Amino acid sequence: MEAEAAKLIGAGLAMIGAIGAGAGIGIVTGGAVQAMSRNPDMTATIQTNMILGIAFAEAVAIYCLVVSLLILFVF
Amino acid sequence: MSETPKKRVWARWVVLAAIILGLYLFTGFFGIGLGIKPIMPHVYLPGEKLSETPLFGIAGFYPTNTLIGLILADIVVLLLAVGVSRGVAGGKQVLTGISGAVEGLIEMLYGITESTAGKWTKQIFPWFATITLLVLAANWSGLIPGNETIGLIHHYDGHGYDLKQVGPFTTIWDESKPGDEHHGEYAVIPFLRPVSTDLNFTFALAFVAVVMVQVFGFRSQGMGYLTKFWNTKTLFSKPIFGVIDFGVGILELVSEFSKILSFAFRLFGNMFAGAVLLFVIGSLVPVFAQSMFYLLEFFIGLIQAIVFGMLTMVFMAQATQGHGEHHDEAH
Repeated sequence: MEAEAAKLIGAGLAMIGAIGAGAGIGIVTGGAVQAMSRNPDMTATIQTNMILGIAFAEAVAIYCLVVSLLILFVF
Repeated sequence: MSETPKKRVWARWVVLAAIILGLYLFTGFFGIGLGIKPIMPHVYLPGEKLSETPLFGIAGFYPTNTLIGLILADIVVLLLAVGVSRGVAGGKQVLTGISGAVEGLIEMLYGITESTAGKWTKQIFPWFATITLLVLAANWSGLIPGNETIGLIHHYDGHGYDLKQVGPFTTIWDESKPGDEHHGEYAVIPFLRPVSTDLNFTFALAFVAVVMVQVFGFRSQGMGYLTKFWNTKTLFSKPIFGVIDFGVGILELVSEFSKILSFAFRLFGNMFAGAVLLFVIGSLVPVFAQSMFYLLEFFIGLIQAIVFGMLTMVFMAQATQGHGEHHDEAH
Protein backbone atom coordinates (compact mmCIF):
# COMPACT_ATOMS: atom_id res chain seq x y z
CA MET A 1 0.00 0.00 0.00
CA GLU A 2 1.18 3.49 -0.71
CA ALA A 3 2.20 5.54 2.29
CA GLU A 4 -0.18 8.36 1.31
CA ALA A 5 -3.18 6.01 1.26
CA ALA A 6 -2.22 4.54 4.62
CA LYS A 7 -2.00 8.06 6.05
CA LEU A 8 -5.50 8.91 4.89
CA ILE A 9 -6.94 5.66 6.26
CA GLY A 10 -5.15 6.21 9.54
CA ALA A 11 -6.48 9.74 9.86
CA GLY A 12 -9.99 8.48 9.27
CA LEU A 13 -9.60 5.64 11.78
CA ALA A 14 -8.25 8.04 14.41
CA MET A 15 -11.56 9.87 14.39
CA ILE A 16 -13.48 6.77 15.55
CA GLY A 17 -12.97 8.06 19.08
CA ALA A 18 -15.43 10.86 18.32
CA ILE A 19 -18.27 8.31 18.73
CA GLY A 20 -17.86 8.25 22.49
CA ALA A 21 -17.63 12.01 22.80
CA GLY A 22 -20.76 12.44 20.68
CA ALA A 23 -22.74 10.05 22.85
CA GLY A 24 -21.35 11.66 25.98
CA ILE A 25 -22.26 15.20 24.93
CA GLY A 26 -25.74 13.99 23.99
CA ILE A 27 -26.27 12.42 27.40
CA VAL A 28 -24.96 15.50 29.23
CA THR A 29 -27.12 17.92 27.26
CA GLY A 30 -30.17 15.69 27.47
CA GLY A 31 -29.86 15.47 31.23
CA ALA A 32 -29.28 19.20 31.56
CA VAL A 33 -32.32 20.07 29.43
CA GLN A 34 -34.52 17.76 31.49
CA ALA A 35 -33.21 19.29 34.69
CA MET A 36 -33.76 22.81 33.37
CA SER A 37 -37.31 22.06 32.29
CA ARG A 38 -38.12 20.66 35.74
CA ASN A 39 -36.50 23.49 37.62
CA PRO A 40 -36.10 26.59 35.44
CA ASP A 41 -34.80 28.64 38.39
CA MET A 42 -31.60 26.58 38.44
CA THR A 43 -30.88 27.21 34.74
CA ALA A 44 -27.73 29.29 35.33
CA THR A 45 -26.04 26.72 37.58
CA ILE A 46 -27.06 23.78 35.41
CA GLN A 47 -25.81 25.53 32.29
CA THR A 48 -22.41 26.17 33.86
CA ASN A 49 -22.04 22.56 34.88
CA MET A 50 -23.35 21.39 31.51
CA ILE A 51 -20.74 23.41 29.63
CA LEU A 52 -18.02 22.00 31.89
CA GLY A 53 -19.23 18.47 31.32
CA ILE A 54 -19.41 19.02 27.58
CA ALA A 55 -15.89 20.42 27.60
CA PHE A 56 -14.55 17.29 29.35
CA ALA A 57 -16.43 14.94 27.04
CA GLU A 58 -15.40 16.90 24.01
CA ALA A 59 -11.73 16.86 24.99
CA VAL A 60 -11.54 13.18 24.01
CA ALA A 61 -12.85 13.91 20.54
CA ILE A 62 -10.40 16.77 20.28
CA TYR A 63 -7.51 14.42 21.09
CA CYS A 64 -8.64 12.22 18.20
CA LEU A 65 -8.88 15.28 15.99
CA VAL A 66 -5.38 16.42 16.93
CA VAL A 67 -4.01 12.95 16.23
CA SER A 68 -5.65 12.80 12.81
CA LEU A 69 -4.52 16.36 11.97
CA LEU A 70 -0.99 15.38 12.98
CA ILE A 71 -1.15 12.31 10.74
CA LEU A 72 -2.48 14.37 7.82
CA PHE A 73 -0.33 17.47 7.98
CA VAL A 74 2.83 16.72 9.95
CA PHE A 75 4.03 13.18 9.29
CA MET B 1 -32.45 53.93 17.06
CA SER B 2 -34.05 55.91 14.22
CA GLU B 3 -30.91 55.56 12.10
CA THR B 4 -30.61 51.79 12.27
CA PRO B 5 -33.24 50.79 9.68
CA LYS B 6 -31.65 53.02 7.03
CA LYS B 7 -28.22 51.49 7.62
CA ARG B 8 -29.63 47.99 7.43
CA VAL B 9 -31.26 48.60 4.06
CA TRP B 10 -27.97 49.93 2.75
CA ALA B 11 -26.04 46.92 4.09
CA ARG B 12 -28.51 44.51 2.51
CA TRP B 13 -27.61 45.73 -0.96
CA VAL B 14 -23.92 45.44 -0.21
CA VAL B 15 -24.39 41.80 0.82
CA LEU B 16 -26.43 41.09 -2.32
CA ALA B 17 -23.80 42.76 -4.49
CA ALA B 18 -21.09 40.69 -2.81
CA ILE B 19 -23.02 37.47 -3.47
CA ILE B 20 -23.54 38.41 -7.13
CA LEU B 21 -19.87 39.35 -7.49
CA GLY B 22 -18.89 36.02 -5.96
CA LEU B 23 -21.19 34.12 -8.31
CA TYR B 24 -19.77 36.06 -11.26
CA LEU B 25 -16.18 35.33 -10.26
CA PHE B 26 -16.47 31.69 -9.35
CA THR B 27 -19.13 30.09 -11.57
CA GLY B 28 -18.47 29.25 -15.17
CA PHE B 29 -21.80 27.81 -16.28
CA PHE B 30 -23.38 28.85 -19.61
CA GLY B 31 -20.46 31.08 -20.47
CA ILE B 32 -21.46 33.64 -17.82
CA GLY B 33 -18.89 34.42 -15.17
CA LEU B 34 -15.15 33.99 -15.03
CA GLY B 35 -15.09 30.50 -13.58
CA ILE B 36 -12.10 31.06 -11.29
CA LYS B 37 -11.18 27.89 -9.42
CA PRO B 38 -11.27 28.31 -5.65
CA ILE B 39 -7.95 27.56 -4.00
CA MET B 40 -7.43 25.18 -1.11
CA PRO B 41 -4.81 26.92 1.03
CA HIS B 42 -1.95 24.89 2.42
CA VAL B 43 -2.43 23.71 5.94
CA TYR B 44 0.60 24.23 8.17
CA LEU B 45 0.39 22.99 11.73
CA PRO B 46 3.11 25.21 13.27
CA GLY B 47 3.00 28.97 12.82
CA GLU B 48 4.63 29.96 9.54
CA LYS B 49 7.82 32.02 9.59
CA LEU B 50 7.49 35.41 7.94
CA SER B 51 11.26 35.84 7.77
CA GLU B 52 14.25 33.58 8.18
CA THR B 53 16.14 35.84 10.60
CA PRO B 54 15.32 35.25 14.28
CA LEU B 55 13.95 38.19 16.28
CA PHE B 56 16.44 39.96 18.59
CA GLY B 57 19.05 37.38 17.63
CA ILE B 58 17.48 34.71 19.87
CA ALA B 59 17.91 31.34 18.21
CA GLY B 60 14.60 29.75 17.25
CA PHE B 61 12.51 32.88 17.94
CA TYR B 62 11.23 33.62 14.46
CA PRO B 63 8.61 36.24 13.57
CA THR B 64 5.72 33.91 12.81
CA ASN B 65 2.27 34.96 11.67
CA THR B 66 0.75 33.62 14.88
CA LEU B 67 3.04 36.03 16.78
CA ILE B 68 1.40 38.87 14.84
CA GLY B 69 -1.96 37.35 15.76
CA LEU B 70 -0.92 37.40 19.44
CA ILE B 71 0.15 41.06 19.21
CA LEU B 72 -3.18 41.91 17.57
CA ALA B 73 -5.13 40.10 20.31
CA ASP B 74 -3.08 41.91 22.99
CA ILE B 75 -3.77 45.27 21.35
CA VAL B 76 -7.49 44.52 21.19
CA VAL B 77 -7.60 43.61 24.90
CA LEU B 78 -5.61 46.74 25.82
CA LEU B 79 -7.89 48.95 23.72
CA LEU B 80 -10.91 47.40 25.43
CA ALA B 81 -9.38 48.19 28.82
CA VAL B 82 -8.66 51.79 27.81
CA GLY B 83 -12.14 52.18 26.33
CA VAL B 84 -13.85 50.83 29.42
CA SER B 85 -11.78 52.95 31.80
CA ARG B 86 -12.69 56.02 29.73
CA GLY B 87 -16.34 55.03 29.77
CA VAL B 88 -16.22 54.65 33.54
CA ALA B 89 -14.33 57.93 33.97
CA GLY B 90 -17.02 59.67 31.92
CA GLY B 91 -19.24 59.47 34.99
CA LYS B 92 -22.32 58.06 33.28
CA GLN B 93 -24.76 56.04 35.36
CA VAL B 94 -25.26 53.48 32.62
CA LEU B 95 -22.34 52.49 30.41
CA THR B 96 -23.12 52.46 26.70
CA GLY B 97 -21.50 51.03 23.61
CA ILE B 98 -18.41 48.85 23.90
CA SER B 99 -17.86 49.54 27.58
CA GLY B 100 -21.46 48.51 28.27
CA ALA B 101 -20.94 45.22 26.45
CA VAL B 102 -17.70 44.55 28.34
CA GLU B 103 -19.45 45.40 31.60
CA GLY B 104 -22.11 42.80 30.79
CA LEU B 105 -19.49 40.15 30.03
CA ILE B 106 -17.42 40.95 33.14
CA GLU B 107 -20.52 40.91 35.31
CA MET B 108 -21.48 37.49 33.98
CA LEU B 109 -17.96 36.14 34.58
CA TYR B 110 -17.92 37.62 38.09
CA GLY B 111 -21.26 36.02 38.89
CA ILE B 112 -19.99 32.59 37.83
CA THR B 113 -16.79 33.04 39.87
CA GLU B 114 -18.71 34.16 42.94
CA SER B 115 -21.00 31.15 42.87
CA THR B 116 -18.05 28.74 42.60
CA ALA B 117 -15.07 30.26 44.38
CA GLY B 118 -16.74 31.81 47.44
CA LYS B 119 -14.36 33.93 49.51
CA TRP B 120 -11.51 33.57 47.02
CA THR B 121 -13.50 35.35 44.28
CA LYS B 122 -11.38 38.54 44.39
CA GLN B 123 -8.13 36.64 43.86
CA ILE B 124 -9.37 34.16 41.27
CA PHE B 125 -11.54 36.43 39.14
CA PRO B 126 -8.66 38.40 37.46
CA TRP B 127 -7.18 35.14 36.11
CA PHE B 128 -10.53 33.98 34.81
CA ALA B 129 -11.35 37.30 33.13
CA THR B 130 -7.87 37.81 31.66
CA ILE B 131 -7.69 34.34 30.15
CA THR B 132 -11.23 34.56 28.80
CA LEU B 133 -10.76 38.00 27.22
CA LEU B 134 -7.38 37.18 25.69
CA VAL B 135 -8.53 33.85 24.27
CA LEU B 136 -11.74 35.46 23.03
CA ALA B 137 -9.81 38.20 21.21
CA ALA B 138 -7.43 35.59 19.79
CA ASN B 139 -10.25 33.31 18.60
CA TRP B 140 -12.29 36.07 17.04
CA SER B 141 -9.27 37.52 15.24
CA GLY B 142 -9.70 34.50 12.98
CA LEU B 143 -12.95 36.01 11.72
CA ILE B 144 -11.33 39.14 10.26
CA PRO B 145 -11.55 39.06 6.45
CA GLY B 146 -8.13 38.84 4.83
CA ASN B 147 -6.55 36.86 7.63
CA GLU B 148 -4.93 33.64 6.33
CA THR B 149 -5.35 34.94 2.75
CA ILE B 150 -3.18 38.08 2.49
CA GLY B 151 0.51 37.46 2.87
CA LEU B 152 3.88 36.77 1.34
CA ILE B 153 4.26 34.51 -1.66
CA HIS B 154 6.98 31.95 -1.31
CA HIS B 155 8.34 29.06 -3.29
CA TYR B 156 6.75 25.77 -2.31
CA ASP B 157 8.07 22.41 -3.40
CA GLY B 158 4.96 20.33 -2.97
CA HIS B 159 1.50 20.76 -4.43
CA GLY B 160 1.53 24.51 -5.10
CA TYR B 161 -0.17 26.95 -7.43
CA ASP B 162 0.84 29.30 -10.27
CA LEU B 163 1.43 33.02 -10.02
CA LYS B 164 -0.74 35.63 -11.70
CA GLN B 165 -0.74 39.42 -11.77
CA VAL B 166 -4.22 40.86 -10.99
CA GLY B 167 -4.11 44.65 -11.11
CA PRO B 168 -1.48 45.83 -8.61
CA PHE B 169 -1.46 42.53 -6.72
CA THR B 170 0.28 39.25 -7.34
CA THR B 171 -1.80 36.25 -6.43
CA ILE B 172 -1.64 32.50 -6.61
CA TRP B 173 -3.87 31.00 -9.26
CA ASP B 174 -5.07 27.48 -9.92
CA GLU B 175 -4.47 26.82 -13.62
CA SER B 176 -4.48 23.04 -13.55
CA LYS B 177 -6.93 21.29 -15.84
CA PRO B 178 -8.84 18.29 -14.55
CA GLY B 179 -6.85 15.10 -14.99
CA ASP B 180 -3.46 16.61 -15.67
CA GLU B 181 -0.59 16.34 -13.24
CA HIS B 182 0.70 19.90 -13.54
CA HIS B 183 1.26 21.75 -10.27
CA GLY B 184 2.44 25.28 -9.71
CA GLU B 185 5.26 26.05 -7.37
CA TYR B 186 4.01 28.84 -5.13
CA ALA B 187 2.03 29.20 -1.92
CA VAL B 188 1.06 32.04 0.40
CA ILE B 189 2.33 32.62 3.93
CA PRO B 190 -0.40 34.78 5.50
CA PHE B 191 0.57 37.79 7.59
CA LEU B 192 -2.08 37.10 10.20
CA ARG B 193 -3.24 33.85 11.73
CA PRO B 194 -5.23 33.56 14.96
CA VAL B 195 -2.79 32.79 17.74
CA SER B 196 -4.96 30.04 19.21
CA THR B 197 -4.15 27.89 16.16
CA ASP B 198 -0.56 27.71 17.42
CA LEU B 199 0.16 24.94 19.92
CA ASN B 200 2.90 27.04 21.55
CA PHE B 201 0.40 29.66 22.68
CA THR B 202 -2.21 27.26 24.02
CA PHE B 203 0.44 25.18 25.77
CA ALA B 204 1.99 28.25 27.40
CA LEU B 205 -1.40 29.51 28.53
CA ALA B 206 -2.32 26.06 29.90
CA PHE B 207 1.01 25.88 31.76
CA VAL B 208 0.44 29.30 33.33
CA ALA B 209 -3.10 28.32 34.32
CA VAL B 210 -2.12 25.01 35.95
CA VAL B 211 0.91 26.51 37.75
CA MET B 212 -1.35 29.23 39.15
CA VAL B 213 -3.78 26.54 40.31
CA GLN B 214 -0.95 25.09 42.45
CA VAL B 215 -0.06 28.58 43.68
CA PHE B 216 -3.63 29.08 44.84
CA GLY B 217 -3.53 25.70 46.57
CA PHE B 218 -0.39 26.66 48.53
CA ARG B 219 -1.73 30.13 49.33
CA SER B 220 -4.94 28.78 50.83
CA GLN B 221 -3.60 25.69 52.65
CA GLY B 222 0.11 26.28 53.00
CA MET B 223 2.28 23.14 52.91
CA GLY B 224 -0.79 21.07 53.72
CA TYR B 225 -1.68 21.30 50.06
CA LEU B 226 1.00 18.70 49.36
CA THR B 227 -1.00 16.04 51.24
CA LYS B 228 -3.35 16.08 48.26
CA PHE B 229 -0.56 14.42 46.28
CA TRP B 230 1.38 12.52 49.00
CA ASN B 231 -1.37 11.32 51.26
CA THR B 232 0.18 9.22 54.07
CA LYS B 233 -2.22 10.45 56.78
CA THR B 234 -4.44 7.38 56.67
CA LEU B 235 -1.92 4.89 55.30
CA PHE B 236 -1.51 3.03 58.61
CA SER B 237 -4.66 4.01 60.49
CA LYS B 238 -7.08 2.53 57.96
CA PRO B 239 -6.21 -0.98 56.76
CA ILE B 240 -7.05 -0.99 53.02
CA PHE B 241 -8.55 2.39 52.32
CA GLY B 242 -5.35 4.11 53.42
CA VAL B 243 -3.49 2.48 50.55
CA ILE B 244 -6.28 3.49 48.19
CA ASP B 245 -6.09 7.10 49.44
CA PHE B 246 -2.34 7.07 48.81
CA GLY B 247 -2.90 5.78 45.26
CA VAL B 248 -5.53 8.46 44.65
CA GLY B 249 -2.98 11.09 45.70
CA ILE B 250 -0.50 9.81 43.12
CA LEU B 251 -3.25 9.87 40.50
CA GLU B 252 -4.00 13.49 41.44
CA LEU B 253 -0.37 14.30 40.69
CA VAL B 254 -0.64 12.68 37.26
CA SER B 255 -3.92 14.46 36.59
CA GLU B 256 -2.27 17.86 37.17
CA PHE B 257 0.04 17.13 34.25
CA SER B 258 -2.73 15.78 32.08
CA LYS B 259 -4.67 18.99 32.80
CA ILE B 260 -1.97 20.96 30.97
CA LEU B 261 -2.21 18.67 27.95
CA SER B 262 -5.99 18.66 27.88
CA PHE B 263 -6.19 22.47 28.20
CA ALA B 264 -3.68 22.97 25.42
CA PHE B 265 -5.11 20.42 23.02
CA ARG B 266 -8.73 21.42 23.59
CA LEU B 267 -8.25 25.05 22.54
CA PHE B 268 -5.72 24.28 19.82
CA GLY B 269 -7.76 21.40 18.35
CA ASN B 270 -10.99 23.37 18.25
CA MET B 271 -9.54 26.49 16.68
CA PHE B 272 -7.21 24.74 14.24
CA ALA B 273 -9.99 22.40 13.11
CA GLY B 274 -12.19 25.47 12.64
CA ALA B 275 -9.58 27.09 10.41
CA VAL B 276 -9.20 23.90 8.35
CA LEU B 277 -13.00 23.62 8.11
CA LEU B 278 -13.20 27.15 6.69
CA PHE B 279 -10.45 26.30 4.16
CA VAL B 280 -12.23 23.16 3.00
CA ILE B 281 -15.70 24.68 2.77
CA GLY B 282 -14.29 27.70 0.93
CA SER B 283 -12.56 25.50 -1.61
CA LEU B 284 -15.64 23.30 -2.13
CA VAL B 285 -18.37 25.98 -2.30
CA PRO B 286 -16.75 29.34 -2.95
CA VAL B 287 -19.88 31.47 -2.60
CA PHE B 288 -21.99 32.04 0.51
CA ALA B 289 -21.62 28.63 2.22
CA GLN B 290 -18.62 29.84 4.19
CA SER B 291 -20.75 32.50 5.90
CA MET B 292 -22.64 29.80 7.80
CA PHE B 293 -19.39 28.33 9.04
CA TYR B 294 -18.14 31.76 10.04
CA LEU B 295 -21.21 31.96 12.27
CA LEU B 296 -20.34 28.53 13.71
CA GLU B 297 -16.75 29.67 14.30
CA PHE B 298 -18.07 32.78 16.04
CA PHE B 299 -19.88 30.63 18.60
CA ILE B 300 -17.08 28.09 18.96
CA GLY B 301 -14.60 30.90 19.59
CA LEU B 302 -16.82 32.30 22.35
CA ILE B 303 -17.53 28.91 23.94
CA GLN B 304 -13.90 27.79 23.91
CA ALA B 305 -12.77 31.07 25.47
CA ILE B 306 -15.32 30.73 28.26
CA VAL B 307 -14.54 27.02 28.74
CA PHE B 308 -10.80 27.67 29.04
CA GLY B 309 -11.35 30.44 31.56
CA MET B 310 -14.05 28.59 33.48
CA LEU B 311 -12.03 25.38 33.83
CA THR B 312 -9.09 27.41 35.15
CA MET B 313 -11.44 29.09 37.62
CA VAL B 314 -13.01 25.82 38.75
CA PHE B 315 -9.61 24.13 39.26
CA MET B 316 -8.40 27.14 41.24
CA ALA B 317 -11.54 27.07 43.37
CA GLN B 318 -11.08 23.33 43.98
CA ALA B 319 -7.45 23.89 44.98
CA THR B 320 -8.48 26.49 47.56
CA GLN B 321 -10.96 24.08 49.14
CA GLY B 322 -8.88 21.63 51.11
CA HIS B 323 -9.57 17.92 51.20
CA GLY B 324 -10.70 17.83 54.84
CA GLU B 325 -12.63 21.10 54.60
CA HIS B 326 -14.52 19.80 51.62
CA HIS B 327 -15.63 16.66 53.47
CA ASP B 328 -16.85 18.69 56.41
CA GLU B 329 -19.03 20.75 54.10
CA ALA B 330 -20.44 17.67 52.47
CA HIS B 331 -21.65 16.04 55.68
